[in-house]
Amino acid sequence: MNVLRFAASLGVCLLLGAGTAAACGEALPGTTRTIEGKGYVVVFKTMPDPIAVGEHFALDFAVCPRAQGEAPRSVRVDANMPEHRHGMNYRPVVTARSAGSYRADGLMFHMPGRWDLVFDVVGGGGTERLTGTMRVE
Amino acid sequence: MRRLAPALVALLAFGAGAQTAGVLPFSAAEVARIVAHGPWPPPPRKDPSNRVSGNAAAIAFGATLFGDPRLSVDRTIACATCHRADRALADGLPRAQGLAVVDRNTPTIADAHLQRWFGWDGAGDSLWAQSLRPIVDPREMGSNLAHIAATVRGNADLLHSYRDAFGAPPPADDEAVAVDVAKALAAFQETLSTGRTPFDDFRDALARGDHAAAARYPLAAQRGLALFVGRGQCNVCHIGPRFSNGEFHDIGIPFFAGPGRVDAGRFEGIRRLTASRYNLLGPFNDDPTRGTAIGTRHVASEHRNFGEFRVPSLRNVARTAPYMHSGSLATLRDVVRHYSEIDEDRLHADGERILKPLRLSAAESDDLVAFLESLAAGGP
Repeated sequence: MNVLRFAASLGVCLLLGAGTAAACGEALPGTTRTIEGKGYVVVFKTMPDPIAVGEHFALDFAVCPRAQGEAPRSVRVDANMPEHRHGMNYRPVVTARSAGSYRADGLMFHMPGRWDLVFDVVGGGGTERLTGTMRVE
Repeated sequence: MRRLAPALVALLAFGAGAQTAGVLPFSAAEVARIVAHGPWPPPPRKDPSNRVSGNAAAIAFGATLFGDPRLSVDRTIACATCHRADRALADGLPRAQGLAVVDRNTPTIADAHLQRWFGWDGAGDSLWAQSLRPIVDPREMGSNLAHIAATVRGNADLLHSYRDAFGAPPPADDEAVAVDVAKALAAFQETLSTGRTPFDDFRDALARGDHAAAARYPLAAQRGLALFVGRGQCNVCHIGPRFSNGEFHDIGIPFFAGPGRVDAGRFEGIRRLTASRYNLLGPFNDDPTRGTAIGTRHVASEHRNFGEFRVPSLRNVARTAPYMHSGSLATLRDVVRHYSEIDEDRLHADGERILKPLRLSAAESDDLVAFLESLAAGGP
């Protein structure tokens, strides 16, 4: 029940800017996953990895602006089950750790199936939503 | 991928979808889902929020207190009055009967220590906090902190047991003594576990590829299990070794508690949880790291929580009738009928979207009941 698979949401997948994703989140140890948006790239890993249904987990992640873009001013994290039309029962708290590096605590996927992990990145140009799709079984 | 290994082993042994004598041809996905309901029992673990968790003297003290009516205001009702050993630690009544009839069914407390939230609405975030609640509820035991403390201080047997459990005489603070009583009760309840069941033997046989052992599980229960992890999608909420995700859902059970009264379920539970000084963020948590308080720290109150109730474990479910938070369904067959004919109009507009009437045949209903009965130790 606790095998996690990840696929970047097609809706937010764009072709990579030169080297942005490769450099982003380099400090994160182990296997990471990447979501690429128009203005930002998010690289994250779950803690623990893999996660289990009904168990709390955290995210360590990096948010990197593309090209000469502005660093994010803040980031919000949430998740929902599109097929069930509900979200989590818990509200994650995001803590900035260093420039472009964050931790989100308090997440839980309480049902198996598809979850959309949502990063709202607030920058000078407004808020960009980056969404990755995960499955927990 | 490491945790998928048992399921893969089973698939290799049985061959996904292949018919084996006496064993249904479960698909690879079904085997993985079945194996995820174990192993059982889980390894023992202590509750870091309770400094006497696992302490033998505290367990003995808690066992005494559990059956002791002196804790109630009129000395007539004990924890064991509703959590009866001869009723699988429930009471067999639709709604609990303490000093008055309350609005909800008495849940079994077997395996309760494995829960994240306690009570039908999850207003408690620890077994010890939950243990204090019915003692001071005017409708249940009707006691108060001063009465609890005075009872311990004023009875030599309890005073002696308190000293054994906590290593010191009761402090002067009544509230501290009452919380310690609750922690001893919790230490005892941590020992109340359900045993292995015919399902567990089948699950383990699947996991190790033992055809002969798997074939001993009745075919009716296997067919019911296939429904449970297949078309019924019951395992979406009743997941894992406890057959519960530990969270809250609206399944269309009316939440009218009586004329002019509604039971708001989880919505009110979150309000009470966050307001309680006995929650894991409060001063009585013995774990200075507050590591187990993560759920309380992050719990979100949503409109959809109104009328949601905790997903119960299904272990021993055949022995804990009647069912649902209101005790409104008398038998397992009634429960299966509820899901077979579920009234979608009763569900929240912003609630769970996968609940649909299963439209089970009579034979399928029988099979599902046979599976549920196989979750009782000694059954089916």
